[in-house]
Amino acid sequence: MNQKAKSKTTAQQTLLSLIILGILAIISGSVFLAQFNPNPAVQQMAPILTGGDKSLTEPSASAEKTFIPLPAGQSPLSPAETFDAVTLSDKINGKAELYLSSGFVRLHSQRFEDPTVGDVWIEVFVYDMQTPQNAFSVFSAQRRDDAQTLDLGQYAYQTPNALFFVHGPFYVEMVASDISESIIQPMMAFAEAFIAKHPIQAQTIGEKKLFPKEGLIQTSISLVSADAFGYDRFDQIFTATYRRQDSELMAYYSRRKTPREAAELASSYRDFLAEFGGRSAESDLGIERAKMIHILDTYEVVFSHGPYLAGVREAPDKPSAQELARQLFNQIKEASRE
Amino acid sequence: MNSRPEHKINRRQFIARSAKAGASILAACSVSYWFYDRTAPGRSEEGASGVQIPDFSMSQLGQRMSIVRGSTRSETLELALKSIGNMHAFIKKGDRVLLKVNAAFASPPMLSATTHPDTITALTRLCFKAGAASVIVTDNPINDPASCFRLTGIEQAAHSTGASVLFPKKEFFKPFSLGQAQLIRNWPILYEPLSRVDKIIGTAPVKDHHRSGASMIMKNWYGLLGGRRNIFHQDIHTIIQELAMMVKPTLVVLDGTTTMMHNGPTGGSLSDLKQTHTMIVGTDQVAVDAYGATLLNKTIDDLAFIKKAEAMGLGTADYQSLNPVMASI
Repeated sequence: MNQKAKSKTTAQQTLLSLIILGILAIISGSVFLAQFNPNPAVQQMAPILTGGDKSLTEPSASAEKTFIPLPAGQSPLSPAETFDAVTLSDKINGKAELYLSSGFVRLHSQRFEDPTVGDVWIEVFVYDMQTPQNAFSVFSAQRRDDAQTLDLGQYAYQTPNALFFVHGPFYVEMVASDISESIIQPMMAFAEAFIAKHPIQAQTIGEKKLFPKEGLIQTSISLVSADAFGYDRFDQIFTATYRRQDSELMAYYSRRKTPREAAELASSYRDFLAEFGGRSAESDLGIERAKMIHILDTYEVVFSHGPYLAGVREAPDKPSAQELARQLFNQIKEASRE
Repeated sequence: MNSRPEHKINRRQFIARSAKAGASILAACSVSYWFYDRTAPGRSEEGASGVQIPDFSMSQLGQRMSIVRGSTRSETLELALKSIGNMHAFIKKGDRVLLKVNAAFASPPMLSATTHPDTITALTRLCFKAGAASVIVTDNPINDPASCFRLTGIEQAAHSTGASVLFPKKEFFKPFSLGQAQLIRNWPILYEPLSRVDKIIGTAPVKDHHRSGASMIMKNWYGLLGGRRNIFHQDIHTIIQELAMMVKPTLVVLDGTTTMMHNGPTGGSLSDLKQTHTMIVGTDQVAVDAYGATLLNKTIDDLAFIKKAEAMGLGTADYQSLNPVMASI
């Protein structure tokens, strides 16, 4: 008994042992988790990445199935293909980053033909972007200048050879292989068939109400999902272009989670501009916490109000920057009251 | 003071504890040894050491460049080549020629996302006229190469002039390491066509590119890479610079007849295009890309890969220093 009592460990020793065991458990856990995220240098050795086992990354294809109920007379020209985040660049190469940074989930694509329009074929791309806002983001980032608005929902247009539209969380492109007056008709039929197959409640992206109306180029409203204005902390930024006195300037805003986050982000963006030669400019904006910055022969205004981060960019002079910033501030102030 | 004697251990206990500790260490070492993988991550250069890409450039000719304005590709290309010594200067009788085209997408020629069939037809004819024994047209579009070559019109254009089209097959790729490169290390490249030709001509359209800012001649060598090459998009300017280090072409032909100004590299709408009516031919791929940037209304400050390539001594971004021959049709 005496012997046993003597060999008993102290509380300190027990505590020390538990700490050591705890550290070992953390190391084991870290090693276990790290193996799921290998370094690209190791990844490139894996057969899946070097083309040794393409079956694991090949997009799925089915010759029989179509993902759109086909209008009469039209038939598939190629198998339906599906791409995920890993394989998207196999289909659209360098443009994949645009979608991946905007919440991309899946792409379905397929080519169709309509004998009534000759040898022309149509390739349909349906991007599942998870939310209508994400779909609007990629739609607006690629909107063509000479687009003709279409009656296919709130966000839709056509160009001489293609249709582009947003439907719920889907961004859809329909591209014809040639130009002909008759090609728009089958593309519209495809679009209507797709919309009918995917009923959704009409949803408005809340980007229009906050932008002041005067001088606004309606089709310029965009949502930048990531790296807006080259600043890596700027995401989910709505932008709009204004034409005033023969020059163009931009207004932007983003609703953040908290007023504090908005204020901090505005401050860090000002620092970012300063790094690239931006200098504070005297101004009488009448907006709390707003700053005007002179950079590269243009004027910028940056401010926050409540959870909103907002500003004006590329203004050719102080008065136009001030005027647009005040109008934007008033709109945001009004929205904050509601 | 009282407690210390209680914690004394006798010799038997010391030996027992030491034995237990030793057994624990031995067990841990045994487990580690069991899991130790002598081969992974396997970055042995053995597989790559035998693969060498020849230098296809003709340095004895010096730097030559011509810029011809006009809307018909066959005419602008012919004049551009004539201005720098004709195709005979670059292709000799019996040469086996590789045309590295851009066939990355299964899209129609009208969208200018790929090398235009007229450029391929004209180039191939000129090669044969200069005495080429064979002309091979190739690229590695990852998704469905057969559709890419067919729908772009490249396959028909090649066959119509007697060239052959080489579709990428798994066995055509070999692991390759580029000396001093950070990214092209033991990476599969489309080696087979490179190994069986005497001359290589790179030809690509001028395009906007979402990631790199532009896709022209140097970016077009991307199509020689195999595997999951999209991971290189994270460092796009470095990979383009390394590709320019990897391939030293005989000649490059940058087709700026129609330029994709927006939404590249895929485009999709005619609205993305601008008729810029320019054909650029030269031996310095950096200079040719630097001129191509002007068609996109960009400068070399906008395109880091041009600066990086110049800094590596791969060519000059100051294309005017080469006194390019300028002509119009």
